[in-house]
Amino acid sequence: MSDVLQINSPTWGALDTDAADRIQAALGADAIERRVEFRGELTLDLPIDRYIEVCTFLRDEEQYDLLSDVTVVDYLGYTGEVAGYWGGDGRDINRDSHSGKRIIPDPAGPKRFGVSATFAKVMTVTDGNHRRLRVRVWVDEGESVPSLVPVYPSADFHEREGFDMMGIDFAGHPNLRRIIMPEDWGGHPQRKDYPVGGEPVQFSDEV
Amino acid sequence: MAATEKKTVVWPQQDILQPVPSELWPSSDNPDLLEINLGPNHPSTHGVLRVVTTLDGEVVVGVKCEVGYVHTGIEKNIEQKTYWKAIPYVPRMDYLSFFSGETAFCMATEKALELEVPRRAEWIRVIFQELARLHSHLVFLGTGSVDLGGIALLFYCFRARDEVLDLFEMACGARMHPRYCQVGGVAEDLPKGFEKRCREVISFMRDQIDQYYELIGANPIWLARTVGVGVMSPDFAIKMGMTGPNLRASGVPYDLRSANGGYGGYRELGYTPVTKETGDVDARFRVRIDEMSASLDLIEKALDGLPEGPVITDDRKVALPPRHELHTSMESLIHHFKLVTEGFEVPAGEVYAPIESARGEFGFHLISDGSAKPWRVRLHGPAFVLLQSFAKLCEGVYLADLIAILASIDPVLGDVDR
Amino acid sequence: MALRPDEPHDRPVAAQASLAAPSGTVVIPPAQVRRSLRSTDLDQVVMTTSIEKIFKMATANSMWPFGFGLACCAMEMIAMISSARYDVARFGSEVVRATPRQSDLMIVSGRVSHKMAEPIRQLYEQMLEPKYVMAMGACSSTGGMFSNYAVLQGVDKIVPVDVYVPGCPPRPEAVMEGLMVLQERIKSGIPSASQQQETQS
Repeated sequence: MSDVLQINSPTWGALDTDAADRIQAALGADAIERRVEFRGELTLDLPIDRYIEVCTFLRDEEQYDLLSDVTVVDYLGYTGEVAGYWGGDGRDINRDSHSGKRIIPDPAGPKRFGVSATFAKVMTVTDGNHRRLRVRVWVDEGESVPSLVPVYPSADFHEREGFDMMGIDFAGHPNLRRIIMPEDWGGHPQRKDYPVGGEPVQFSDEV
Repeated sequence: MAATEKKTVVWPQQDILQPVPSELWPSSDNPDLLEINLGPNHPSTHGVLRVVTTLDGEVVVGVKCEVGYVHTGIEKNIEQKTYWKAIPYVPRMDYLSFFSGETAFCMATEKALELEVPRRAEWIRVIFQELARLHSHLVFLGTGSVDLGGIALLFYCFRARDEVLDLFEMACGARMHPRYCQVGGVAEDLPKGFEKRCREVISFMRDQIDQYYELIGANPIWLARTVGVGVMSPDFAIKMGMTGPNLRASGVPYDLRSANGGYGGYRELGYTPVTKETGDVDARFRVRIDEMSASLDLIEKALDGLPEGPVITDDRKVALPPRHELHTSMESLIHHFKLVTEGFEVPAGEVYAPIESARGEFGFHLISDGSAKPWRVRLHGPAFVLLQSFAKLCEGVYLADLIAILASIDPVLGDVDR
Repeated sequence: MALRPDEPHDRPVAAQASLAAPSGTVVIPPAQVRRSLRSTDLDQVVMTTSIEKIFKMATANSMWPFGFGLACCAMEMIAMISSARYDVARFGSEVVRATPRQSDLMIVSGRVSHKMAEPIRQLYEQMLEPKYVMAMGACSSTGGMFSNYAVLQGVDKIVPVDVYVPGCPPRPEAVMEGLMVLQERIKSGIPSASQQQETQS
């Protein structure tokens, strides 16, 4: 890892490619579809049907005891030409900084939503060698992801938020209901096709 | 790094965590259970938290936390702004240790950019992160003791808090939410007289901490209400994803300021985590008061050895050039123009850079698409995680103990709801 | 010389040099003390007013805030109330009640989300007349920097507001200035925003 990466997030430790190798050795080479390394972080893309199996292996055999969080990212329009905002029905109140992209990135994944879970080794470390690892599954709208709650109980609130904000159905979650928005709210606000909302500011349209 | 003996987390004991880990469901069939609502507006909740409790007499048998009453849609707003313009949104999430929020966001952006921050800026960030931690723990102590009925400490702590905020105002211009941390360093250098004032505040705070211990350290009422209440075993804490002082009060010496050597300026300063063994409400209070002392030591150490140099990176593609250069250099003018109107671009990818805020692991998942605006920013807020464990800790305690446990866990609802 | 009723009684008048006193102290000769009380001029010993004026003075000088902290502004509000530096007790407002039924002034400090809007309205309805609302901070005045789906763009969409205090967060002194402005409004007879809304509707 370069100096900057060591300074900025030492808790990622060295890339835990050994763990990835052991997962593939124990569960088969198809347990991991792809490994992504970026800025000293290792992300393993998994097929949905091996998700729980790999996470259980990480918990039991690799001693990753802390589930840091479960993040859902909506990649709709990621490879589009408008920066940071897909469009949609809402009013873009920041027209002054509405800029285009110079470099179109590669698509991040095969489907629209990426559900990633970050794990950390906290108690079960030797030599203070804390490590982190991220796994990720890809889903489209309407597909469901198996819930991590039976394996790691701390996924409870995170998955509820993923459901509330992005509309991902976590199958097997014991209490999947809205956590942040009101119970009767319609839509999933953090999706890219959901408008930002707010009030139009006067005179914004005029030059 | 000294070798720590390998511990294991005991996983098969999952029964207490079912069926729902974050809620406590009554197990008795008593038809006289009373379901009562605590909040969302209540003097004892740390923000707008709604706790739906089921009581059997005075004993708590069911707890459900309802959050979302201060949801601000910050993450969605950040997606519309450039990285710079997004920095003011960030401290308003965890509004008690606000500088930690700014630092976390800036560090995540710097990690994605692979940008090096000058040493002086790292050390200044350490000083202000510790001041923010002091601020957060002071508010925790003040409001926590009000929850337990001892109002005197509120006045003492808020008085000390004003001294700490004076330092922020001196260096950054604003008491709270100063937007001082910049991508690449800090916005401005420390003013003259800051170091002197800071040392005065440190010696004042040391006396104050002694006073706090005098007030609550041996107070029999305090001890009766806090010792042995809400005991959290380290296994439970890890399973529920807890980090920060709550975890350290259960004996796990995990602190991101020292894990794998620490981040930023902590790498050179060095830090030993403060832990307690009992894991009850009293331990959580004491850990935070001891952390305040440790913060004071750290600030002093940082002031003693503060290196000279620039306070922001000189990479003109990211940081604004100094004003005097704009008069002489054409490139600086163009850089300034591009930075202010369009912003700098961050390579596409996903980073996660956690720091240790007053509440625990505080990190930003930053997913960028190669443009000047972040694609998705998700805060891993410590309070969001630790509120999950609150319900199970309240099994079979009195209602007053529930308030004590909530106070000791120290959630900040801005962090939970974002 | 006679002191007017609004002049302080213990204003030091010219000390006689013959009286022995430690240097630096001002000695007020007893003959001149409390001159106004010994005056027979009715203007100087009796203040005439109307019941409304006294009422308004009493209302303004003992506004009990409703402890309603939502977000970051709540920290500055608590600082105003319970910090020795920004002591709000000198305005008569240190009695912060947790229940709306015993409070006069609801300080909405912090951003109001749509989920919280209903409880705010309920709490406002539970307050007794005369009641006042202060929108503290940019978020409760206009939505602040959060122009999005989640934040109510100003609490005046659901409750009538008397005083707006801008800032993010406003300093405790700014909130006290808002309180003083409210006090001046009350003393000068302007009806509260809730009463104005009733007469309009």
